[in-house]
Amino acid sequence: MGSSARKKQEKKKDFQKPKYKVGKAKPKASNFTDTSFKSKAIVMNQQSLSTVAPDVVQQFKHNLSLASSSRSDKQRRDALAYLTSQLSSHPPINPVGTNILLSKLLPLISDSSTPVRSQLLKLLRVLPEEEAKHSTEQAIMFIRAGMTHLSADISGDSLGVMEWLLDVAEDELVTIPGGWVKTLSTFCVTMGWSLSSAAHGWTSAARSSLRAKDAQTLARQISILSRFLQAGLRSETAAVPSTEEYWDSFYGLPRSSNAFEYLNLFGSRRDEEGEMYPNREARQQVFYRRFFEPVTKGIEKVKKEGGAAGRAAVGLDQVLKDGMGDYAASAGMDAQDLLNLW
Amino acid sequence: MVKRKVAALEKIDADFASLQYKIRRDPKSYKDDFLKQWEQYEAQREIFFTSPTTAAADTVESFHNMIDLIAHVADCYPEETQTFPDDLKAIVSQNHETLHPELRDKVVGSLVLLRRKEVIDSTSLLTTLFPILVSSRSKSMREMLFQKILSDMRNSNSKATNHPLNRTIQAVLYNLVTADRASPRAIWAIKLTRELWKRQVWTDAKPVDVMKEACLADNEKVIVGATRFFLGGDKEREELEDESSDEEIDLGKVKHQIQINKKSKKQKEAYRRAVDKVKKQEKKKSKPHPLNFSALHLLHDPQEFAEQLFTKHLQGTKNKLSLDTKLLVLQLVTRLVGLHKLTIVPLYSWFIKYLTPKQQSVTSILASLAQGVHNLVPPDALEPLIQKIANEFVSEASASEVAAVGLNAIREICSRQSLAMTETLLQDLVQYRKSKDKGVMMAAKGLLSLYREVGAEMLKKRDRGKDATMGLSSGLMKQRKFGEEEVGGIEGLDLLAKWKEEQRKRKRAEKGLPEDGSDGSDDDEKDAESDEWEVDSDDSSDSGEWINVEHSSDEEDEPAPKKRKGENDEEDEEDNAEDEAAELERMTKLATTTILTPADLAKLQELRAAASVQKAMGSRLRKRQQQQANDGTTHRDDGLTAENIEAPIRLRKLTKEEKVALAKEGKPDRDEHKSTQAIRKSKKDAAGKSTSNREKQRKKNFLMTLGKAKSKQKRSLVETRKVLRGHVERSTRGGRRRNGT
Repeated sequence: MGSSARKKQEKKKDFQKPKYKVGKAKPKASNFTDTSFKSKAIVMNQQSLSTVAPDVVQQFKHNLSLASSSRSDKQRRDALAYLTSQLSSHPPINPVGTNILLSKLLPLISDSSTPVRSQLLKLLRVLPEEEAKHSTEQAIMFIRAGMTHLSADISGDSLGVMEWLLDVAEDELVTIPGGWVKTLSTFCVTMGWSLSSAAHGWTSAARSSLRAKDAQTLARQISILSRFLQAGLRSETAAVPSTEEYWDSFYGLPRSSNAFEYLNLFGSRRDEEGEMYPNREARQQVFYRRFFEPVTKGIEKVKKEGGAAGRAAVGLDQVLKDGMGDYAASAGMDAQDLLNLW
Repeated sequence: MVKRKVAALEKIDADFASLQYKIRRDPKSYKDDFLKQWEQYEAQREIFFTSPTTAAADTVESFHNMIDLIAHVADCYPEETQTFPDDLKAIVSQNHETLHPELRDKVVGSLVLLRRKEVIDSTSLLTTLFPILVSSRSKSMREMLFQKILSDMRNSNSKATNHPLNRTIQAVLYNLVTADRASPRAIWAIKLTRELWKRQVWTDAKPVDVMKEACLADNEKVIVGATRFFLGGDKEREELEDESSDEEIDLGKVKHQIQINKKSKKQKEAYRRAVDKVKKQEKKKSKPHPLNFSALHLLHDPQEFAEQLFTKHLQGTKNKLSLDTKLLVLQLVTRLVGLHKLTIVPLYSWFIKYLTPKQQSVTSILASLAQGVHNLVPPDALEPLIQKIANEFVSEASASEVAAVGLNAIREICSRQSLAMTETLLQDLVQYRKSKDKGVMMAAKGLLSLYREVGAEMLKKRDRGKDATMGLSSGLMKQRKFGEEEVGGIEGLDLLAKWKEEQRKRKRAEKGLPEDGSDGSDDDEKDAESDEWEVDSDDSSDSGEWINVEHSSDEEDEPAPKKRKGENDEEDEEDNAEDEAAELERMTKLATTTILTPADLAKLQELRAAASVQKAMGSRLRKRQQQQANDGTTHRDDGLTAENIEAPIRLRKLTKEEKVALAKEGKPDRDEHKSTQAIRKSKKDAAGKSTSNREKQRKKNFLMTLGKAKSKQKRSLVETRKVLRGHVERSTRGGRRRNGT
């Protein structure tokens, strides 16, 4: 009780009007924060000073590193645009080589920013096809990661990259280790044609969404899948054997990268998924065993839905008929049986 | 920057946490989504494995997220994720050195998570983690792994002991210790074993075996760790047990608080938990105490172990252990020797060169020596040691502390092996009881009183004291020969025999038979036995009977024999001796011819207690009893420390710091010069306590008291009387509010 007078005084203070006086500075508000600061030096994080302008090679490398590791998405996009312009000039300027370029830029397939991804696709289109072929194995890994990405945008855009790869190197794509089976299973999973659940019970899970955009994506997926299958199941014509080539195969230096890959001398033991399927028959065999049923089922389902996806499915059906028409399930031993024996 | 418009559903889908939640809630419907993520995981893993060392930050992060998601939902799709645990194991065991720290931690955490979800079993988890723990160079990683391993071991042993797992891990630890004796890796085996021993997860001989092997390692750190385990591991265990049993909950208090405070769900929950805990504690109390042997007792072949330790770490000249380590090993060796009564003859001659006052930490060496002596050590091995201690430490020229230490050490040695002392030396040493220094005087007196009991013949006649002289003259007291053991027995068994005899006599008297009839009917005895087998039944039969209140004629008779005592003293004593011998025989007979029932044991306990109360009455007996109590305080399992050898702290001169600390004890902090009252008051204010009534009265505003003071002066006599009466009445009733109502 003794302090009530003081408290009253304090309360009153809140409602008192501040008195301004001529020639004196305005009193500071009670919640005033002093933001001024003093410093003897300003430290820049990184600074590169030079008297001469950087040459083209330097600039290219700088932009490459920006594109692959900058934190700002605008910077990444701009750097990619610069690289694209350099690559599309005549003659193309590429001091680092396509392989290194691709190994730096492929992770951008699952980049979170849409402009960056579209710019990346543009860049890929201007790369020379002959050189890009050698990076197929690396590219397909990132494409698979992109296609199964949680974000629908990214998985949609990576279909575009897949298209590019099919344009550039479809033969390599279906023959490299893991290129056939893993890619097929990725396609099936993204379209929801489940591989393992062979109809347990009456109802299957409904497709989670049937929006217009999804239908479009599905149509695109199916058309690309049909291109992929076409590449893999295309009938091969044996080249006319020439004596020169015959002797070359013994004494000539191999010209493809990693020519003895099929021997798998240094890698880990491959399972069915990571195996190489070098010829059409092997591809047919494994396709028939693992994917034929879910794919045909899926086609039926999509056909019934109609629309763009339905039309694409008809195309896919046609491809399947062409590719698998002459395949007869052989009773002979195949590679899988040998692996199981292991 | 303009934000891109995102559809509501998409926004939600692009989030791992919500996807995880959805999958866990309804695994069947979200299988497609899961499969997609599984594909994504596979792709990420592939990308990651192309260059695990130089992976970019965002690759690492996305891989990190995938592992997290799949580990959380792995139990929903056991078929699809069959390979997942093996993948993780491969990742962490092959690349733990080069992996990004966060990713590494995540992989380990996911493995533990899978273990918790019982996707993998403990054995496979621990056999994966342990090699990494041992070989990893990252400190934080090792710390985390150790924690995880420890908690997993505890969890899998919490409900019941998981013997197969324990066996596997113990084998792994054993191999780790024995595989490379010079490597410091074995320290992890020691840490783990010690921790599990402390928490009583492991209590058998196998971990002790691991520690034993670790003691014989070449690495100093390993040796120290393992030795410390033997010297302190059991004490640690006991302390932990005491701590855990200390927290008692007062249920009444909790209940009371609930009544007073606001009633809330939280309170109710707290009460329920308290009740649970109390119940658990009670259950634990009623459970039989688990029999835990100390590590020293669980050792297999202590003789060989002690010999190996001695020859490897102490005896040779090659070993490069520091003095502290050597002391630890020495403590362990001597502890083993003393506890198990081992014979290592070279040990005693080894001590000789360390027995000088200038030797560093000589007190602990002396303590070790005393600890390593037992009654089966040949006296001629000890004699030179005692002689040397006497020469080096105990002389008029040496400082009083040194002399006290020497005397104490000699006493401790001789209390374990009294034959090691020679007559002349003893008589010399006893002279020091006339010393002016209190420490020396007490030490010498201790030696004297020791020899009055164990070897009075060696003392001069005038030093022997009354008891010893009488004992010697009656022949009761004899110096024990080398290797002679005391005849053991069950304490109080003679009392039980006597009681049984009385019972039998009484029963026979009830039946009208002569009291001393030697062969009672067999049925009768059988009856009695079946009656006495159970403790409870025995009690009930007792309570039903009439209690015999005898007229004590003994007390009246007693004064008469007392007069004759002076004449027949010697006779009595002889009689006593004979009686005692007979008693002894009877006692052993009872223990060897019959089986003691639980009822018997209960009775025995009772009789023992009664006897001890009786004993406390007689002064001479009391002395002996005290002595026994003193012996009881230091258990034979406990080792001897340097403090026992040094003079008690109170005798030694205090240093200045100690004096200051002693003076400051219990007084308030004096940062500023204030009165004690003021300091107390400021303390009270800081604690948020209110003022006393008296203080309030004193502080009361003057103006408020003014009116009353004025009116007081104007009061009439009657009014004053009324007020005074009211005051008296109020004080008798206990205040205005009446105490207690």
